[in-house]
Amino acid sequence: MSSVNLAFAKELKAYSEDTALECFNCGTCSAICPLVHDNFPRRMIRYIQVGAKDKILENANDLWRCLHCGLCTHTCPRQADPGEIILGLKRFVVANWRA
Amino acid sequence: MEEKKNKVGVYICYCGGNISDHVDVEEVRNRALKLPDVTVARTNMFMCSDPGQEMIIEDLKSGKIDRVVVASCAPSLHETTFRGAIERAGSNPFIYEHANIREQVSWVHHGDPATDKAAILIASATAKAKHLKPLAPIHVDAKRHATVIGGGIAGIKTALDIAGQGIDVTLIERSPLLGGQLNSLGQLAPYGDHASDILKELIDQVTGHTAITIHTNTKVEAVSGYVGNFSLNLLKKSDPENIPLTLDTGAIVMATGSVSYTPFKGEYGFGQYESVITLPELIRLLKANTSSRSMLEVNGKPIKNMVMIHCVGSRQIPGIHPPKENGTLNEYCSRTCCSAMLNAANQIRETFPETSIYEMYRDIRTYGRGQEELYMQASANKVVFMRYEADEPPEVSKNDDPDYPLQVRIKDGLTFNESLTVPADLVVLATGIEPNDVTNLASQMKLPIGTDRFLLEVHPKLRPVEFPITGIFLAGTCQAPMDSGEACNAAGAAAVKASALLSKGYIELDPFVAEVDTDKCQGHGACVEACIKEGALTLMEVINPDGNPVKQAQVTPAMCLGCGACAAVCPEGAIDINGWALKQYEDMVDAIVSDSVAV
Repeated sequence: MSSVNLAFAKELKAYSEDTALECFNCGTCSAICPLVHDNFPRRMIRYIQVGAKDKILENANDLWRCLHCGLCTHTCPRQADPGEIILGLKRFVVANWRA
Repeated sequence: MEEKKNKVGVYICYCGGNISDHVDVEEVRNRALKLPDVTVARTNMFMCSDPGQEMIIEDLKSGKIDRVVVASCAPSLHETTFRGAIERAGSNPFIYEHANIREQVSWVHHGDPATDKAAILIASATAKAKHLKPLAPIHVDAKRHATVIGGGIAGIKTALDIAGQGIDVTLIERSPLLGGQLNSLGQLAPYGDHASDILKELIDQVTGHTAITIHTNTKVEAVSGYVGNFSLNLLKKSDPENIPLTLDTGAIVMATGSVSYTPFKGEYGFGQYESVITLPELIRLLKANTSSRSMLEVNGKPIKNMVMIHCVGSRQIPGIHPPKENGTLNEYCSRTCCSAMLNAANQIRETFPETSIYEMYRDIRTYGRGQEELYMQASANKVVFMRYEADEPPEVSKNDDPDYPLQVRIKDGLTFNESLTVPADLVVLATGIEPNDVTNLASQMKLPIGTDRFLLEVHPKLRPVEFPITGIFLAGTCQAPMDSGEACNAAGAAAVKASALLSKGYIELDPFVAEVDTDKCQGHGACVEACIKEGALTLMEVINPDGNPVKQAQVTPAMCLGCGACAAVCPEGAIDINGWALKQYEDMVDAIVSDSVAV
């Protein structure tokens, strides 16, 4: 069980656009993602929404399977820009993985 | 040809195939013609059409028939149509009988059995029809005055709309204040009007109206009488001697409203932790808040993280939610709380951007125009939504973190059913709507109450805002959970119906009521004991033709429900129901069991 980390959204601002809360969890991005299964990238975006920092670090490997084809960003109905969020999370994980 | 004693005309409808696809209508016509009392039997593609009705009118005018049987759909819609046609022919509309050969035959039977049953139902209707006698509607003088019970927005609107039709109104409110639940609301969803502005405008109108008398602090103690002539006993709380006021009125509108659900102690920490409050309390805090800081403050403490829990006291499920002490469970959706929660969340996020909000819902149901937008707006305001299932609700508990006195644990459907813990310094419960308890009034007036404890109208589409008791209507949240706009719609409907009823100064009621045969009545009184409607039947002393005083039953037609309980118990057969006499039933049964029309 993870505790919601309220400060995480702010912490992430240094690495990524602040669009994760635009997402309303429709799953279109996960349905169209050609590479990664199991609710990627929606799961990562949801973890940002609820501030589950530890979950993101635990599942960080998934982030590097993304090739930034752009399909998720193209189909997102809410302009949450999933591709950009994943890129931001990569920066965040690189900065934090040893921390 | 021998002249028949009774002249019944039978008219059989094809219903454009609805009936004729399964019933051989022409065969039924041929069989009907052989019935002893039938002089004319005709068919038509649509009996309810003008040509169909015209056939009836011509046969009546030319004297071929003096009773009418139409075999078509259920009588609920077209009985009035055909009665109207008979009236246009200059005859008494009550010489009419209906045979339902669509819902009761062609929609449920096929082939020869369908044709046989249609013929039998027509034979039975014909047997009844030959005993029909011309009747006159019951004429009741009506007081051109209406009484509205409940001074919330529905009651105020009803009173204003009735008074606008030139009818005097008395508006009765139990509490010292008009306005009801709107007094405790702030900015209303979805357009942001202030409840206080709306109330001020309406209360100014209602208190300034010369045709409206207002009694606040007043309870209705007793109701008696019937449509056009009700009598109410009122008790003013301010009266030290408790002298009841009597009010005579022609119609009554129940606008007795609702209250917000009170959570039990320990329900999501309510009554246990002071940081757990209800939505009405939050709305009061928001109304009173004049702080210009960037964080919502409650009792002087800034709120960093607020959790809002939906469906508290609504959509309760037997076996999951514990019933109240009195055994009740609110299984309905309260309809207004989702929008009210989102509305409050938007206000907070837009006024106090440093206060974060987590909304935990089962389903978001933003009913009505302009309300889905509240959800979109809340999303844009970065409200975080989490979803729980009824059988695994969020748990509110104490937190060791001094910054956040509470924590809320949720198995979040939107986070792949993972368990999350949200630290919180305020938890708001979306408490639902419960009707005010009016069982005493309702039982006096014989008004139906649903299993959900809301008052029940006759039919939501065919007869909305009406009770089965003529002259009594309902409006607003006494009827079902609804928002103030919907309550005003219902109020308008109730006002129009009450005004139309009272506009002429008299009312005509269906004549299907008990009638005493004074030659036969021996004054046993069994009928009076059996009667279920107080005041409909009484034993009176009358002078018989020999000049001696005797007791006899007397009917008050406006009160009689036409149920027939009296006819069933009279040992002399001296009381019967007009239009539904025992002899008619006997002949109907004879017609059904005889093989006069069967193959």
